Amino acid sequence: MNVVELVEVTKVYELPRGSIKALDNVSATIAAGDFVSIMGPSGSGKTTLLNIIGCLDTPTSGRIAIGGENVSGLDDEELTKIRRDKIGFVFQQFNLIPTLTALENIAYPMRLKGLSEYEERSKELMRSVGLNEELGENKPTELSGGEQQRVAVARALANDPDTILADEPTGNLDSKTSKDIMELLKETNERGTTIIMVTHDPLVASYTKRTFRLVDGRIESFA
Amino acid sequence: MIFFEFAKRNLARHKFRSILAVVGIVIGVLAITALGILGNSVRLSASEQLHLIGNELVVFPYGDVAISEDNFEQIEKIAANSIPVQSGVDKVIFNEETALVAIYGMRSEDIPNLLEKEEGQFLKHGSSNCLVGSRIADDYELRVGERATIKTQKPRIVGVLKERGIGFDINPDNAVILSDKLFSSLYNSSGYNLVIVKVDDVTELEKIGETIEDRLNKKEQVVVVMEMKMIVEGIQNLFNTLSLFLLGIGSISLVVAGVSILNVMMMSTVERTKEIGVMRAIGTSKKGIVQMFLFESLILGAIGGVIGAFLGFGVGYLVDVLILKEASYLFAPSSLVYLFLGIAFGIGTSVISGLYPAWKASKLKPIEALRYE
Repeated sequence: MNVVELVEVTKVYELPRGSIKALDNVSATIAAGDFVSIMGPSGSGKTTLLNIIGCLDTPTSGRIAIGGENVSGLDDEELTKIRRDKIGFVFQQFNLIPTLTALENIAYPMRLKGLSEYEERSKELMRSVGLNEELGENKPTELSGGEQQRVAVARALANDPDTILADEPTGNLDSKTSKDIMELLKETNERGTTIIMVTHDPLVASYTKRTFRLVDGRIESFA
Repeated sequence: MIFFEFAKRNLARHKFRSILAVVGIVIGVLAITALGILGNSVRLSASEQLHLIGNELVVFPYGDVAISEDNFEQIEKIAANSIPVQSGVDKVIFNEETALVAIYGMRSEDIPNLLEKEEGQFLKHGSSNCLVGSRIADDYELRVGERATIKTQKPRIVGVLKERGIGFDINPDNAVILSDKLFSSLYNSSGYNLVIVKVDDVTELEKIGETIEDRLNKKEQVVVVMEMKMIVEGIQNLFNTLSLFLLGIGSISLVVAGVSILNVMMMSTVERTKEIGVMRAIGTSKKGIVQMFLFESLILGAIGGVIGAFLGFGVGYLVDVLILKEASYLFAPSSLVYLFLGIAFGIGTSVISGLYPAWKASKLKPIEALRYE
């Protein structure tokens, strides 16, 4: 099964100085269980592609299906549900909610969905991303970068999504911690979750099974 | 409720700012509650002091001439329960002290119909004794059995009247009441200074008043009819306007508080742009964001409203005790209403002020909000 299908996706940004084609006729399929990195120079459309796959942005033209469901033309409420249930996000700056503790951050997507056993499952997720349970009551600011990113991965996994989208997940981490996070993502992928990751670090990309190279909004090569 | 929890924590994040916003609401609600209670207490105290009777007409002579005996008989034909009153002002000596007081001459059978006694007896028919009002009795320490001196007469005080308050017909508190016979012999007068008409059915009041005016003023105007109900309504309108005015002043401070909440919340949406972006990205609906912000303004309003209402109640208490010297008006239901009105206005103002920021925050595009630094 394909978790992501892009058919001739084009994204044009209308700016005062003229329009910019961020994505130009991109077609690709990503199968369940894949681990894909998207690479390319800055301005090549990597993040735009990830945002469109993540239902945070909509293409100007073309079609996109997530988990077999065509998401073109869905309204904000429906897209929000897809983000909540089918996709997990991991950001470069971790982006945990500062008012919530580590455990509450992990539980949040489950509470949004209305799941009742969120407490037990958040503790389980904490353990599975290799965090000591004692850190659960800490606020994000009381955690190290690596710890925060582990919480973010656990949060991304909360509603058991098909796909995790990671935008430079190691961009704010030192090389040792980067390695740990990549190992974690690799393990996650081995347990069956599809991961699509934007990076510009070849070492990080080496953990993935495939790499898309984007240049000027076009996929130049699949490796 | 997760969004309520968020709201609480977000407010706790900027304690000082939240406290300032609450203080604004507290002041507004305090003003509304205190001024509302004050206005209501003044009204209650006024209606307690004014002797307002809704079922009376008062007939006054037009011009300087008194109402003649003939005219009174005509009035009596229209309304059987009519009380003719003669009145004047004279020097009266009580216990060797001279006082200038009102003197009323009334038929003895009419007196119990109009006035109440505190002690002693009413006047017998054609009596040469007198009754005194409560204020005079207090001021000159008069007891039943003592004598007053009016001109050449020395009537014995046989009764003291109950306090009646300021009336629009007669004001007996500061007066001496004589029998019509004694009054006439003292002042050699004829006719009446006013006639009080009591009506059993209040709905008939206006009609009876018109009939009296029509019949007596047929040839030339001799009487003026005043309806007590009109005066009562006039005074009530005055106090309602006063209450509304005070409420208006209170509302202005609440509007100011509302603007400050709007300001705080707008600041908050800007500061939390990135956070809202993250929340939206990981699956929070627009409705959730709106709820979070509305809960924040609701909490500010509820805390400010409750504190303000109770402080306002306290200020109302002080004012009542210091100025009106009476705390009982405070617990009248019509005063307590302002407690809840204050809280409701406080909550209402802050929720309304929160609407725009909440809507604005929910409209943020997740990708743009995520990019915000």
